[in-house]
Amino acid sequence: MGQKSGDMVQGTLEMLILKTLALEPMHGYGVALRIEQVSQGVFRVNPGSLLPALARMERSGRVKSEWRSTENNRRAKYYLLTAAGRRALRDETDSWGRQTAAIARILET
Amino acid sequence: MRWIGNLLVGVRTLFGGNRVEREMDAELDAFLEASAEAKRRAGMSPDQAARAARIEMGSANAVKHRIRSAGWETALQNLAQDLRYSLRMLAASPGFTLVAILSLALGIGANTAIFSLLDVIMLRSLPVADPGQLVLFGHGREVGSTNSLPNSSWDLFSYPFYRTFSQKNQVFSSATAIDSVEFSTHGSLAGQAPEVFHAVLVSGTYFSLLGVHPQLGRVLNQSDDQVAGSGAVAVASNSWWQRHGRDPAVLERPYRIEGTDYTIIGIAPPEFFGTTVGESPDLWIPLSMEKQISPGWNDLENKWFQSLYLIARLKPGVTVEQATANTNLLFKQILRSDYVGQSPSQKDLADISHAQIELTSAARGLSQLRARFSLPLKILTAIAGLVLLIACANLANLLLARGTARSREFAMRMAIGATRSRVIRQLLTESFVIALFGSAIGVACAWNASHLLLVTASSSPQVAAMHVEPNLHVLTFTVVLTVLTAFLFGLVPALRVTRLDLTGSLKQGRGIASPAAPVSLARALIVAQVALSLVLLAGASLFVRSLVNLIRVDTGFDRQNVLIFSLDEGAAQIPPDAHLVNTQQQIEDRVQAVPGVRADSFSCFAFNQGIWSNDISVQGVPSSPENSQDVLFNIVGKGFFATRRLPILTGRGFNATDRTDSPKVAVINETMARRFFPNSSPIGHRFGMGDDPSHSGDIEIIGVVKNAKYVALEESPQAAAYFPYSQHVEYLFNFEVRYSGDAAPVIQAVRRAVAEVNPNILINGIGTLTEQVEDSTSNLRLIARLSAFFGLLAAFLVCIGIYGLLSYAVARRTSEIGVRMALGARRSTVLWLILREILVLVAIGIAIGAPIALAGNRLVVRLLYGLSPADPVSLSAAIAMLIVIALIAGYLPARRASLIEPTTALRCE
Repeated sequence: MGQKSGDMVQGTLEMLILKTLALEPMHGYGVALRIEQVSQGVFRVNPGSLLPALARMERSGRVKSEWRSTENNRRAKYYLLTAAGRRALRDETDSWGRQTAAIARILET
Repeated sequence: MRWIGNLLVGVRTLFGGNRVEREMDAELDAFLEASAEAKRRAGMSPDQAARAARIEMGSANAVKHRIRSAGWETALQNLAQDLRYSLRMLAASPGFTLVAILSLALGIGANTAIFSLLDVIMLRSLPVADPGQLVLFGHGREVGSTNSLPNSSWDLFSYPFYRTFSQKNQVFSSATAIDSVEFSTHGSLAGQAPEVFHAVLVSGTYFSLLGVHPQLGRVLNQSDDQVAGSGAVAVASNSWWQRHGRDPAVLERPYRIEGTDYTIIGIAPPEFFGTTVGESPDLWIPLSMEKQISPGWNDLENKWFQSLYLIARLKPGVTVEQATANTNLLFKQILRSDYVGQSPSQKDLADISHAQIELTSAARGLSQLRARFSLPLKILTAIAGLVLLIACANLANLLLARGTARSREFAMRMAIGATRSRVIRQLLTESFVIALFGSAIGVACAWNASHLLLVTASSSPQVAAMHVEPNLHVLTFTVVLTVLTAFLFGLVPALRVTRLDLTGSLKQGRGIASPAAPVSLARALIVAQVALSLVLLAGASLFVRSLVNLIRVDTGFDRQNVLIFSLDEGAAQIPPDAHLVNTQQQIEDRVQAVPGVRADSFSCFAFNQGIWSNDISVQGVPSSPENSQDVLFNIVGKGFFATRRLPILTGRGFNATDRTDSPKVAVINETMARRFFPNSSPIGHRFGMGDDPSHSGDIEIIGVVKNAKYVALEESPQAAAYFPYSQHVEYLFNFEVRYSGDAAPVIQAVRRAVAEVNPNILINGIGTLTEQVEDSTSNLRLIARLSAFFGLLAAFLVCIGIYGLLSYAVARRTSEIGVRMALGARRSTVLWLILREILVLVAIGIAIGAPIALAGNRLVVRLLYGLSPADPVSLSAAIAMLIVIALIAGYLPARRASLIEPTTALRCE
């Protein structure tokens, strides 16, 4: 398989998905690909984690889904960010920022 | 709003059939397609790309499973699936299911029944407004009247004290007085036959203090309780009203009680049973009618006639501590000003300084039952708890054996993708289903059983009328118990049997056994069962032996062949003077002439009917601490000693010369004679009631009679004196008849004789002296019966457990035994091989259980009679019984093992 995926920090997957979807609506594979590309291959999201996470987020109202045609004319389930999802992204980004800054300070001393 | 969306999607998923499923498949397909396309673009061949994409995804079913579990409805679906599967599995092995459910039903049922009793007697609050604010003065332990100056913690109060106290106190918003004695007499609604009813006399404030409102009419108020004799009204209970057909017109008809017409002014609400748990009076009558209701025992205006309980309601914001301080201050002031006069003696002052009122919570009402049953109920709770534990251990063992037998099934399920937690959940669901069925049957049985327990424990019809049906409290208790039980017996086996080596389990047929991990747990469970059963059986045999000892105790009198008629002379309105004595004599004389009657006599107390006691002063004998203890009194007829076969040791018994106007006489018992006249004959000596020496010449001793028991079989010898009823005129409720031969014609003849003398004298009931004696042991009898029953039940469960374990062990070791026998082992050796295993376990169980049993038995020492808690016979009996049971349970599987044919066993491989 040759996967050298970096371990994802606990609880960050949803934040990364939110961020990815904030750019534009995407289907599942699109999200996985985008995360892998942007992280330059550090994070590889397995469909076994990605699809359940999307289902969870849909249930909690952070994203909604609709079936659309892809660029090469296939049908795929696209996920869109809702207002609640945008709020959640903002909150999680803020708290993530605070946490990493704090961790960085601790590591520097 | 979001949860509504979630709910809707969930419901759609539950009922929408395949649409959601298809959508999920489509999404997975699209994902795979997109992934494969990306890989193709990166240069893989189409085949390689498709394969790599599929590998990345892993099992599509697993992914779908995880997507599904994002929704709540999945848990529901899984549960439904587990339930269906559990029911199928249980139905597939009816033997196991039956044993499991029945043993749990017994365990949970026993606990529920006993908890219902505990709830009704010990825990439940009175159905009145704000019961938490109610306080009782004292502990409500004493019943009757006392005329001494309060000199310790006080329970009983006089009516004048109640009135003065209610006027002067500042901490209570209201107070009420309740007669400590519940009256039982006859009454009749105009135009109907007389009926027995129970009445409690209360002050006019009773209902308003409790905040109880009538369902019809009105309740008592202050004006009913103003002038003695003027409040001929009564509030009736709901059950009394029901007996009279719930007719609203009863409110207008007069109700005649002993010659006085009462008006029923209202009906109490259905849930209200008064303030004493274990009593359920039919009528509440104002205290102003005390003289009419209780002709022989009343003195409402006398501050020394202390016969009332007081209950008061705390003013809002007043604490019990503040109220106690205030109450006692006022108590002592009233004692000083009203009870001892201008120049109190030194002793009076000392008494007053020791006098105190302890305020106790009246939220749960008063109860004599509570004191009597508190230890028995604790013991029964412990017994029921042990039974449930044993049932759990047994069930855990059965599940373990079953789980081991099903290990191939679990291995299969886990191999095709079920997680271990999923299998555990499935197994726990099975446990819950068993527990649920068991508890449903248990509660259904408990519904009747708790009532049966109550009736066994007490012969009083009023106690039997108590509501012990399981209520919300009890059902909550049972539900919690059921859940705990299911976890207790289900969790460990579920964890154990799912810890599998998959390939091993799948390959394994019957052949050579796999490592025996579950077996050691099963053994530990057997050891635990044996230990717990030993505790139960040892306790049970102690109780049974105590009961036997107690029933064999020499009561002094001959309890066989004595009938006791309980008569209501008050109903005939005979004036309590020479007329009454005359009537009593006529009845005695007529019955004496009946064929088959050996002797007969009226008596005030038969056995265990209460006591009348006082201290006495004896002429010429200085008082000392030893002889100032109370003496018990009884009022009897001249045939009493012959009826009881109590021999007169010196002097004479009563005869016709002891008339109302002749000098007062008494017959005393051996203990009293020894206490006051250790060195001389008591005949001709005189004594008087109380410590006043000026009365010490009142009564002449004319005879000494053999000692007898009066209240309880376990009592130590008591000093007692008997008076003739001709000199202590009183309504006497017992008419005792010693007969020979058949009782039935004697009963008919006595009924006729009583009716001939006065047709208005009512016979309330007929019993025997033996019954009265045995009823006094009802507490111990109840415990002995139940502990024996549960002990045997526990032994039976051990039997099942051992049989199950050994059968399983024999099945597993078939080929090993075959090899042994092929190598020349004899059948008896094989038999011993199997039995030895079980005997070792039983021995360990006994070694653990025996010290626990000995320690536990020490807690119940108060209920034992003539035995030490470490009684070796009881313990050995229990141990012997367990060993026998183990051998019986072990013999069948061991025999099956010894009959194994080596050739067959080995060919099975």
